[in-house]
Amino acid sequence: MRRIPATLAVLALATVTTACGTLSPPGEQSVAKARLVDDRPVRDGGTLTIGLKSDPDMLDPSLTSTLVARTVFASMCEQLYDVDQHNKFVPQLADSLPVLTDGGKTFTFTVRRDARFSDGTPLDAAAVKTSLDRHLHLEGSGRASEIDSVRKVTTPGTYTVRLYLKHPDTPLLGRLANTAGLIMSPTAIKKYGKKFATHPSCVGPFKYEKRVIGDRIELKKDPLYYDADKVHLDGVTYKTITDGNIRMANIRSGDVQVGDQMGPVEVRSSLGEKGVQLLNTPSLGYMAMTLNVGNTHGISGRPGTVNNPFGRDVRVREALDLSLDRDLINKLVFQGMYAPACGPVPPGTPLSTPTPCPKRDIPKAKRLLKAAGVKTPVPLELMINTTPEDNRLGQVIQAMAKDAGFDIRLRPTEFATGLSRTLAGDFQSRTGGWGGQPDPAGNIDSLVGTAGSNNQGKLSDPVIDRLIVEGRSTADTAKRREIYRKLTLAINKQHSVLYLYRNINYVSASTDVSGIKLSGDGLIKAEEAGYVKGSR
Amino acid sequence: MNRLRTLLTSYLARRLGMSLVTMVLVSIAVFLGVRAMPGDTAQALAGEQTSPEVLASIRQEYGLDDNIAVQYWRYVSHAATGDLGTSARTGLPVLDAIREALPITLELAALALLLAVVVGIGAGVLAAVRKGKPSEWLANGIALLGMSVPSFWLGIILVLAFAIATPVFAASGFVPFGTDPLENLRRLVLPAIVLGSGLAAVVMRQTRAAMLDSLSADYTRTARAKGLTRRQVIGGHALRNSLVTVVTVLGLQLGQLISGAVVTEQVFVLPGFGKLTIDAVFTRDYAMVQGVVLFTSAAYILVNLLVDFLYSVVDPRIRLGGAR
Repeated sequence: MRRIPATLAVLALATVTTACGTLSPPGEQSVAKARLVDDRPVRDGGTLTIGLKSDPDMLDPSLTSTLVARTVFASMCEQLYDVDQHNKFVPQLADSLPVLTDGGKTFTFTVRRDARFSDGTPLDAAAVKTSLDRHLHLEGSGRASEIDSVRKVTTPGTYTVRLYLKHPDTPLLGRLANTAGLIMSPTAIKKYGKKFATHPSCVGPFKYEKRVIGDRIELKKDPLYYDADKVHLDGVTYKTITDGNIRMANIRSGDVQVGDQMGPVEVRSSLGEKGVQLLNTPSLGYMAMTLNVGNTHGISGRPGTVNNPFGRDVRVREALDLSLDRDLINKLVFQGMYAPACGPVPPGTPLSTPTPCPKRDIPKAKRLLKAAGVKTPVPLELMINTTPEDNRLGQVIQAMAKDAGFDIRLRPTEFATGLSRTLAGDFQSRTGGWGGQPDPAGNIDSLVGTAGSNNQGKLSDPVIDRLIVEGRSTADTAKRREIYRKLTLAINKQHSVLYLYRNINYVSASTDVSGIKLSGDGLIKAEEAGYVKGSR
Repeated sequence: MNRLRTLLTSYLARRLGMSLVTMVLVSIAVFLGVRAMPGDTAQALAGEQTSPEVLASIRQEYGLDDNIAVQYWRYVSHAATGDLGTSARTGLPVLDAIREALPITLELAALALLLAVVVGIGAGVLAAVRKGKPSEWLANGIALLGMSVPSFWLGIILVLAFAIATPVFAASGFVPFGTDPLENLRRLVLPAIVLGSGLAAVVMRQTRAAMLDSLSADYTRTARAKGLTRRQVIGGHALRNSLVTVVTVLGLQLGQLISGAVVTEQVFVLPGFGKLTIDAVFTRDYAMVQGVVLFTSAAYILVNLLVDFLYSVVDPRIRLGGAR
């Protein structure tokens, strides 16, 4: 009995010292350049556990609405097209890029002949038609609006699919390289109907095995996969670990091998650390501060004029924009781990043009406010999410804007509440992001077009609307690039959506794992992954 | 004997009726409470990047555009047949999720309770017996730490120390006892320590106080005078009498053990009841929140009913709601 307190004291001391020992200081490893692949040779066997930031919703390509579900689909459901590591569209279940005829209104492609769904059903044009029809017509389908330019799907040959479009829709290819291009087994669709998510069956290197809500999704190697020879792992398990620190702790302990969507703080803390490697790719989306300039009747109503200085006068909005220093925001809030953004089109994609970010200019901002005749400080309520990062972001914006003559009050609001307030037009400004799509139309049309279903601030500008239509119906890449350059300038001229920064998708992984690939849109591809030869 | 049986039957019927009424009230409260949460459910389900048509069809699909009374009746009539619905977020049955999660939380709570009892009573006895010595100060200090340290922080420190630096235990996850008993313990020991530490501290302080009372009581002095050994006096007399208070405290703290599991399950990524509830609340998964709360309430009511019934069987004075 006498020894117990002493033992406890030693144990407590050991706890503190060993814990400190594992916390590595930031190293010198650079993250400035994208690193999308680790190709050391791997051995066969083993199960890879991937830690996800949130629990996926329905594992049904037609009904899902989360990016994290797409992360899981990346291992078990292939798409018609994919985005390669240079953000170019490449065929996946289709075996060639589409042929556009009839002025861009007919979209024809063929599908690969060697693929089978995990339930044994062969992939053919009819199977693709079944999936696309389901995307278009299933009640509650999140894909219907994404491919609503499709009037009819036909199958002129066993492996040939033809889409008849209502109007030319160049960005359609981008959507078929996204969730709308996910193809499901027609047998499983017939058998499970709306309950497809309970037994998802697609073409992929791994097939669905089991799901425990809030915990994990287990997949195992699919021997029917057309490239099964290249698959080394016996299975992949997706585990939901919402807290970034805990996700990193699990990678360090070896319980999890890959951590998706790691935050800047965790990445910084692990740089240069033995046993942990980093893969990263720039996001195709953006984060912005949206000002409510016309959402007076709800998001589905007609745009009105918001009766405050920001709604009435573009000079006040420009002054606010000029008060912000995007580089400093990135440094202060994200430890310099993200990239400043000043437009909706992600750099590095084939349709992007370099856009210089406006520099912080307080004298000019003050002159604009004076010219607008507003009384300073100009009050503004900024709705932010209840995350620590958004809190910091809000505080930095608040401090910067104060210098120019703005009085920003922060209103931290929980996600669902914030969303309903935004849709109802019950907000002055908010911070928020867009996941992003490889085709710039996906980052623009619905967000700043007058009729856009996600146009939260209800910006309405005829020049923007005209350019949106032009961008959608032009097929020539050079011409489209020029249209999106003009579109970016037109959007920025309105200062209604203040683009702030662009995430970088960080994936941390244990060094005994290799063969992981990140696609241009940040998804983890585990089909060629495995444990490094000689590892456990 | 016949009269006793009649009284017992009517008592049971009365209690059952009251339990049923309580359940209905709970179900109404949960149903309305969940709907009173700010934020649009369909929007929370569909996420930000969706269209009005999708929202409308989600509302229709889950009957969210129906009258609230209609929604309640539909829910309660299904629940009465054991159908708690399907999770609107994942499309999987609520009952399956509960069935998977419940044993994990129960096992975690039981293990934490065991740790709290063993460590708390042991340290409490030690502190009382060695009053005024360094070991008492240390035990008191550790108890104070146990009560003050946030479980989230303690969890991360334990993971860093015993799952990363010295990989004795696992940092996360759950393996059923039936599948691999050793692995099960390897994954549950750290969470049980985190969950049980607060309770152990409370138990330690209660034990110490009760033991100090007992050690200065007349019966202890008598026991010593009879020539009993130190071990017999402490274990057989003082501790035995102190345990009455400790057991009462344990009973009162049990509920907190289950609710405290929410944070512990988040840190150790245990797919238990607490994690299930939190995830469901954040995603506005009505069916899941209702199912979980309803299930918990039913369990509480059932346990109370059983305890009352057992009281009445064991002790006739408590029996039958005052019937003479």
